[in-house]
Amino acid sequence: MLVTGIKSKPVYAPLQADTRGRYHLMLGMGVGAAPLLRVIDEMRIGGAQALQHTRVLFVPDAGAANAGAAAAIERFRTAAVGNVQTFPGTPALLEEFRTTLGKSLMGTRLYVAGPESFIGLAMKIALEFNLNKDEIRAEECGTLARRVYCIHCRATTETVRTNIVQCIACKRWLLVRDHYSRRLAAYMGVMVDAEAPGELPPLKEAFL
Amino acid sequence: MNDAQTLAVEVVGVEQVTPLIKHFKLAAAGGGSLPAFSGGSHIIVVMQGAERVHRNPYSLLGSPQQLDTYEIGVRRMEESRGGSHFMHDTVTVGSRLEIAHPVNLFGLDKIARKHVLIAGGIGITPFLAQLEDLHGGAVPYELHYSVRSAEHAAFLERLRRREGERLHMYYDSEGQMIPFETLLATQPLGTHVYVCGPAGMINHVINTARSCGWPDSHIHWEQFSAPPVGDAFEVFLARSMISVHVPHDQSLLESIEAAGVEVPYLCRGGVCGFCHTRVLDLDGELVHNDHFLSDADKAKGNSIMPCVSRARCKRLVLDL
Repeated sequence: MLVTGIKSKPVYAPLQADTRGRYHLMLGMGVGAAPLLRVIDEMRIGGAQALQHTRVLFVPDAGAANAGAAAAIERFRTAAVGNVQTFPGTPALLEEFRTTLGKSLMGTRLYVAGPESFIGLAMKIALEFNLNKDEIRAEECGTLARRVYCIHCRATTETVRTNIVQCIACKRWLLVRDHYSRRLAAYMGVMVDAEAPGELPPLKEAFL
Repeated sequence: MNDAQTLAVEVVGVEQVTPLIKHFKLAAAGGGSLPAFSGGSHIIVVMQGAERVHRNPYSLLGSPQQLDTYEIGVRRMEESRGGSHFMHDTVTVGSRLEIAHPVNLFGLDKIARKHVLIAGGIGITPFLAQLEDLHGGAVPYELHYSVRSAEHAAFLERLRRREGERLHMYYDSEGQMIPFETLLATQPLGTHVYVCGPAGMINHVINTARSCGWPDSHIHWEQFSAPPVGDAFEVFLARSMISVHVPHDQSLLESIEAAGVEVPYLCRGGVCGFCHTRVLDLDGELVHNDHFLSDADKAKGNSIMPCVSRARCKRLVLDL
């Protein structure tokens, strides 16, 4: 039903330090702190120089898995990272991210760690600044909840965990596909009962 | 590309623009428009020399908007294998030539936020056409052009008039050097760098950009290597079942073509990978001169780019 094997579905890999870069910009959310701290450790082993040009923008997760957030921030600070900033939510972080990219120089590497929807929103902005695959690393961790774009009314429904979802704007029932748009940072949702109105497949949790 | 797909052109203009560079204008022999191209494209000019056929790549330097003529700039090479001397010494207004359709291996990145163009000498030619596309656009760019001395600065008046402060000139005779390190360390995110010129300059730009943290996807370069000379050897073409002698001053590709066997090609300069050929047997070693195969592939020794590479052996067997 999901239509698998779609090439646009993003693929992520564990973060690794890329010390060929001169500047390192890290974005993290919630449990994404752990991969970023791992990269910082790799950099310290490779020579502390890279850490002087490292900046971390972080959003503690608002959910229940928040216990380690304060500790994570403290660890960033003690890891001798030049500049750590925390934000109350993703929009504020992304605004600062956009401003930072506008002032950044060639030689910058981007590391993103967090839920897939967070990575997607960061990638969307990175794309506007013409960052290519060889400048970005992303590790997915946390919830798999999706942003779903309604191809009928163009509204985006956030935090979708189920195989089908009712569009927040037009109320159509949408099938959540694996077809992903980097430009919209969302999966495509297609009306599921267009041919047989009211005939819906069973609602199942699919993206936890 | 094979000769069957060439276009017949007539030379409609020749101008000596520097002591070493001639500027040629080519029009379709039957009249009418030439095929469209984008900035950075090159053509292969096929020249019927007295001894042999020369096929040399030259960048198109005219405006991609004007298809009534193609323009190329030809530098007279000191160690010419005949092509550039043929163009300089025997081609005049009215001469007929064959050319292959334009191919672009050096296009501008369409979503770059800024372009930095670096030219050394005759390496200015692909940029002249690219500048036609960039001029008047919204994307910022700058051109850094290094030449031996003022008299060697080809197309300088055209550039000055059009580019104004975006043009930065450097004269070797005045001891001026492009400040590569400063230039590449201070570019905004989303910049692409393009370099065309002598091998040393290209390598220096690539290495400096990398040391400033640039990823390879933002570094672009083009260099058409002339096929290096070497020892003569024999090549056996397994599918054609013929043996071909490769003289010391002729490339493997040229020798195979002279024997009547067609090999697909685009750049003839070791860049595009189109003439990639399987090596079936060899009693010596391959001499790889291309920029296409990775070092690992070169070490494997089971394939070769016959446009610029050769072999140090008695007998080479190719899958042709």
